[in-house]
Amino acid sequence: MMKIGLDLGSVNTKLVALDGIKIREQKVVSSRYDSVSAGQELLKEWAKTNQDISYDLVVTGYGRVSFPEGKLITEITCQAKGCHGYFPTHEYILDVGGQDAKVIKKNPAGKVINFIMNDKCAAGTGRFLDFILKGLSLTEEELFEAAVAKPVNVNSMCTVFAESEVITLLAKGAKKSEVVAGVFQSTAIRLARFVESMAQPETLIFAGGGAHYNLLVKYLEQELKIPIVIPPDPEITVALGAALLA
Amino acid sequence: MDNRELWELLGMDLEKHDEFLAPIPALATELFFNRPNRPAAMSYFDMVLADVHGIRVKELYEKKQKGAKIFASFCVYVPEEIIVATGSVNIGLCAGAQFPISTGERVLPRNLCPLIKSTMGFKLDRICPYFQVADWVIGETTCDGKKKAWEVLNQYIPTYVLELPHKKEARDYRLWEEVVLEFADFVEKETGVEITEENLQKSIEVINNKRKALKRLADLRKNKPSPIHGLDVLLINQLAFFDDPERFTGQVNQLCDELDERVNKKIGVAPADAPRILLTGTPQPLPAWKIHALIEKAGAVVVGEETCTGERYFRNLTEPAENKEDMLKNIAKRPLQINCACFTPNSGRIEDIVKMTENLQADAVIETNLQFCNPYAIESFSVSKEMEKREIPYLRLETDFSDEDQGQLLTRVEALLEIIRS
Ligand code: SF4
Ligand code: SF4
Repeated sequence: MMKIGLDLGSVNTKLVALDGIKIREQKVVSSRYDSVSAGQELLKEWAKTNQDISYDLVVTGYGRVSFPEGKLITEITCQAKGCHGYFPTHEYILDVGGQDAKVIKKNPAGKVINFIMNDKCAAGTGRFLDFILKGLSLTEEELFEAAVAKPVNVNSMCTVFAESEVITLLAKGAKKSEVVAGVFQSTAIRLARFVESMAQPETLIFAGGGAHYNLLVKYLEQELKIPIVIPPDPEITVALGAALLA
Repeated sequence: MDNRELWELLGMDLEKHDEFLAPIPALATELFFNRPNRPAAMSYFDMVLADVHGIRVKELYEKKQKGAKIFASFCVYVPEEIIVATGSVNIGLCAGAQFPISTGERVLPRNLCPLIKSTMGFKLDRICPYFQVADWVIGETTCDGKKKAWEVLNQYIPTYVLELPHKKEARDYRLWEEVVLEFADFVEKETGVEITEENLQKSIEVINNKRKALKRLADLRKNKPSPIHGLDVLLINQLAFFDDPERFTGQVNQLCDELDERVNKKIGVAPADAPRILLTGTPQPLPAWKIHALIEKAGAVVVGEETCTGERYFRNLTEPAENKEDMLKNIAKRPLQINCACFTPNSGRIEDIVKMTENLQADAVIETNLQFCNPYAIESFSVSKEMEKREIPYLRLETDFSDEDQGQLLTRVEALLEIIRS
């Protein structure tokens, strides 16, 4: 018997298959605005290569309500469970996903005791960052430069306003690398205030797709003045938690 | 006279009104009429809901023909006893529909509380027969949004504004008493009916009885399992602002008799171990059923509302008195016991939330904040800290009257229920 966790996210859909507590398989595919089909595909593929193996399934993520099989658990409970195995003594998790950001507080057993989620807008989420970065179409070199560039001030956090602010800054002669650094810094500042609106933690787990941005992590550490830890695959901890709960 | 003739007489925009009403029957059927395990006595309220722009409006229209005036109010601080004493009618007209909001935004800023925009939109669109039948709007100086919106609304319907203090010191009581006395003069003048010891005593009794009946209903929800869904009680609380007070009181008491029996037989609307939720925050005017529906669809039961479409409306009664002067004083005193976030300080509200959580055996508190409502949004900081201190699971939802955020809200609610159940 295997345990499968399926996370139907707004941007990506992820599958984790567990044998006991060992990860047998993990996969990430794009949701393409239809996470339910993406999830069904992933499951079908898995079944093809693992014929005759039965499994328990937990489905999570925003697409879960329309998924035809499996037990449903929210991504909040799954995230806490998925991160807990890596960092059992850390209390707070910041999760920056495609369409929202959350702060979760877990107890020594890995159970959620409190959480907050950002309100209806893309500010400070993965989608916001992806959108701005795509618009800037950076070269490898510029991205490298951004890591050491002096960040310019970017005040707008609404996707639309930020885009026009970025255009204005570039027109005024700011370097792309400085603007990128600025976008990460202002996002980090906003996320830091979001974390602090819940608590003043001494350490923080950073998970979700957003944790892949090294610059975001750097500025977040600077802003919160606390050490930040990141699970090995920050994007799949929700699916992992789901599998653990299956 | 059928409904359409009536609406035409009231100068309504029939086409727009049809468009507004079109989705309501299906929604009411799904959320109310077809839900299993409801008390039989809900049938009266279902009937009122099914014809919400019909029977009652006609009654009001007929009363008007006989000389009564219709006053539309938007806050539970408005002393309705004074209006009722003169034989005229007070209706609570706060609006909770998304439909007229874009019209409201023609004259109001976009980043304003949806309740105010919805209200304004109803008047501008001419799709609310209650607004059309009303002679006066009775406003108050509670939040900045309402206070300034009255100036705009006054261009479309005569608006009288009560000056409500924002603290509860002795001088505030004095000011409010003066305001209430002046209001009594205004109502006398407008209706042409003198307020007397007799009619005032009677109206205090009528409105107190209404509050007592709603309190009795609220108390029944203490039972485990709860004998009634929160959604049904919310509907009743909403209709309390529209219906004829005496008839309404009779119907609520009849429902309570039935619920007494349910409690005796231990019949509930959900299993005894279903999570029990106390709701707190901004008002949920008709037809804002979204939050209750989500919570109960997720398997929990809403057992109380620390809101103005709940406890704040009916908890405090007006003390009876011997003479007219003292009666008016008591009418002024009563609402100042209500704990609304427009006042400072407002620590009484947090005490109310804690007390209600205990009394109702609630497992968690959900705070709903209408978007752009500053007083409640700011106060939620203190509410959340107190809940954390007492280890009461707490969730804050910011929302409006649209349906688009249902998925996001459901995830939050389900995560809260997972916390309770784990
Ligand atoms: S929330 Fe405050 S302002 Fe609004 S109706 Fe209630 S008492 Fe009045
Ligand atoms: S909900 Fe808040 S902003 Fe809206 S009318 Fe009431 S007090 Fe004012």
